[in-house]
Amino acid sequence: MTLEIVVMIKQVPDSQEVVIDPVTFTLNRSAARNVINPADENAIEAALRIKDKEKDVHITVITMGPPFAETALIDAMARGVDDAILVSDRAFAGADTYPTGLTLAATITRMGKFDIIFAGEESTDSSTGHVGPGVAEFLGIEQASYTSSTWIEDEFVYADRELEDGIETVRMKSPCLITVLTNSNVPRNPTLRMKIDSIKKGIKTWSLADIGLKPEWVGLKGSPTIVKSMRTINEKKREGKKFKAGEMDKFVDELVSKGILKL
Amino acid sequence: MKIEERLSLLNYKIDKSYEHITVNPSICETCPDHFCTFACPAKCYSLIDKKLNFKYEDCVECGTCDTACSHGSVAWTNTKGGHGVKYKFG
Amino acid sequence: MEISEIIHEQSYTRQIIENKNSYYGFYNAGSMSEFDVIVVGAGPAGASAAIKLASAKANVLLVDRADPPGSKNVSGGVLWGDSLSQVAPDWEKGPVERYVEAKGVSFLTKDSRISIDFRSKKFGEYKSGYTVLRTKFDAWLAKKAKDSGAMVVSGVTVDRLSMKDGKVIGVEQGGETITSDAVILAEGANSRIAIDSGIKKKPSDRNIALGIKEVIKLPEKTITDRFGLSSAKMGFASEYVLGFLEGGVRAGGFLYTNKESLSIGAVISMGDLRKNNQTYSFNIIEQFKEHPFIAPLLEGGRVEEYSAHLVPEGGLTVDSIYGKGYMIAGDAAGFTFSNGLVLQGMNYAVVSGIVAADSFLQRKEKGIEAGANFSNYMDNLSGTFVMKDMKNFKGVDAVTWSKSIHQTIPAIAEEAMLNIFSENGEPKKHMLKILLKSMAGRKESKKELAVDLYRMMRRL
Repeated sequence: MTLEIVVMIKQVPDSQEVVIDPVTFTLNRSAARNVINPADENAIEAALRIKDKEKDVHITVITMGPPFAETALIDAMARGVDDAILVSDRAFAGADTYPTGLTLAATITRMGKFDIIFAGEESTDSSTGHVGPGVAEFLGIEQASYTSSTWIEDEFVYADRELEDGIETVRMKSPCLITVLTNSNVPRNPTLRMKIDSIKKGIKTWSLADIGLKPEWVGLKGSPTIVKSMRTINEKKREGKKFKAGEMDKFVDELVSKGILKL
Repeated sequence: MKIEERLSLLNYKIDKSYEHITVNPSICETCPDHFCTFACPAKCYSLIDKKLNFKYEDCVECGTCDTACSHGSVAWTNTKGGHGVKYKFG
Repeated sequence: MEISEIIHEQSYTRQIIENKNSYYGFYNAGSMSEFDVIVVGAGPAGASAAIKLASAKANVLLVDRADPPGSKNVSGGVLWGDSLSQVAPDWEKGPVERYVEAKGVSFLTKDSRISIDFRSKKFGEYKSGYTVLRTKFDAWLAKKAKDSGAMVVSGVTVDRLSMKDGKVIGVEQGGETITSDAVILAEGANSRIAIDSGIKKKPSDRNIALGIKEVIKLPEKTITDRFGLSSAKMGFASEYVLGFLEGGVRAGGFLYTNKESLSIGAVISMGDLRKNNQTYSFNIIEQFKEHPFIAPLLEGGRVEEYSAHLVPEGGLTVDSIYGKGYMIAGDAAGFTFSNGLVLQGMNYAVVSGIVAADSFLQRKEKGIEAGANFSNYMDNLSGTFVMKDMKNFKGVDAVTWSKSIHQTIPAIAEEAMLNIFSENGEPKKHMLKILLKSMAGRKESKKELAVDLYRMMRRL
């Protein structure tokens, strides 16, 4: 029986290009071009590695976003993903992590059978890490977050979770959801052959109606988060001082006097 | 403005699995001019304790070093998969 | 769903379907190749070729190694002329920066600037050029190609041309061959594919220079005021002869105004840099920026980007710009021009790309076979200003990089000007006398200067 894998990805503003406005000190995202969220690239790679090893694996990549997110989906297909679905609807605008999770969970349900869902640990543009685990909760399935590798053994899904004090290996029954750490693998490059084939094949685009959710459940209306206000943290003044190798005492005294080190 | 500061303005998608330029250390060891260190606009080539040090990560892919090195040490290829420098203005 | 959304969705789907149809080609019926043409490189040459081909319903693949397309492309920044209107009639409404209404040429010595500052109302009748920032501009052109029906692939690096029985039958990437009846190679000045495919030699010091550039952010109004421009849409473009550089390294400079930034850079002679072997290339642009007559123009600006790129020199740099199954266009073919007064490349790229596309279509009409020899590309190009300029100005690099241009003439002019304009209480002398005196006082041989002047008269 075909092992059905779903990878959830997101397009984010390239964090290397998000600049801080020198006057207002706010983030200027509009200057940045969109890229696949880095951890999601690792999630795609994690799925592809299972496909490399196991027989009869089918991978679908999905994203909720505007029409131009097609680029990211085509890119994923050109690395070896079989199908792509873009869930796009004006009604989704302004969604926080709750309706985003709901929308993706509804999409996956609508797709039919699924065994493993992959997602990046978090997105660089909001860094909540909510959506992956949220989808698992909506679907009522097991999950493993912050993983560095995933494999299949005796019909079980195994994943290494990298925790602060060590690595925890978890065993799960499918269906399950796995979030993948940034830089946990090196994503492969798309090939020209596969790019051409992916563009020819194209992606599927689904709207709100296709996934059977009500407008008031998604987008801004379905978002419980309310941002009360936003403040910019003023940059602390930095200074540089040099100490010679033998001046450890002086160095410590200086740190204490500045309140950086408490004795 | 220091070159390091200018390079820090650039957006690179660094390829951790492929170094698109390699040098042959045995050739560089006997090199009389080390012209690469003057020619490379991204200071990828530098002398540390009289030994040539090369880093591909800062490369802006101009191709200068391939012509600059007249001793056959530089092996130049294009970056792959959209990796490397990504200009905003160009 | 609201009606507007439905329309939005439908038009999006329709666009995908339309694009898909075009991929399956109209010409391709009799050929075994997957594509009619594969165009390598999404710069002005490649994109123009792709637009032209796709508009003629050819089945074309445009592939660029940068993602998004164009994000590895760099140029000084003026697209001269109006050739692009042949494939993109609305290009002036695209992401162009400013229309060049003021053109300068300056010689810079350590302490002085001798300039021609040319402004003309006639720039309204005669097309001058627009400053452009390539990353934005080239992405726009690639989009045009896509909208015309070309398949555009970015972020994939073609390894080499695929050859069979001495003919190019497509391109190779990752061990796979994608076939086409023709390949238009428009990969730019650093032509790895042409070199690795054995159709171009590695460039020598003589046929490339090193271009280094910075984009410096300034408010729109500051730029308009500082350069005395008539509006925020109007721009200034100037070339400089940098005769003052440490170690006598010869380099040309340029300074162009964009909407909200300046493009400033230096084009450095590789041979000189090598001979000198103690000046760092990346410091030359800093010397230029610090010059007493340049620094005030940049005041208050913030460096936003640093870039470097090879500049083809001395005309054609390949033995042949065409062969069986391929044509080379743009910088890759060496189609650039610089004579100290102007630096041009993009307009040659556009024209050569269009002519390459036309040459394919011409052959196609007569029932092309895969791997046909595209000698008609050369014939067709000969009728354009591209080849005419290449012929007429062959050897111009000898003048551009001559000692006379870079040192002798600026020094003489500086001395003469000082003599003419400084009031030292002595009676005025005739101009000729002043010039002769300045020349006599110089170490350089008069013969050398005479030779360079003769070359200049012939070639400029």
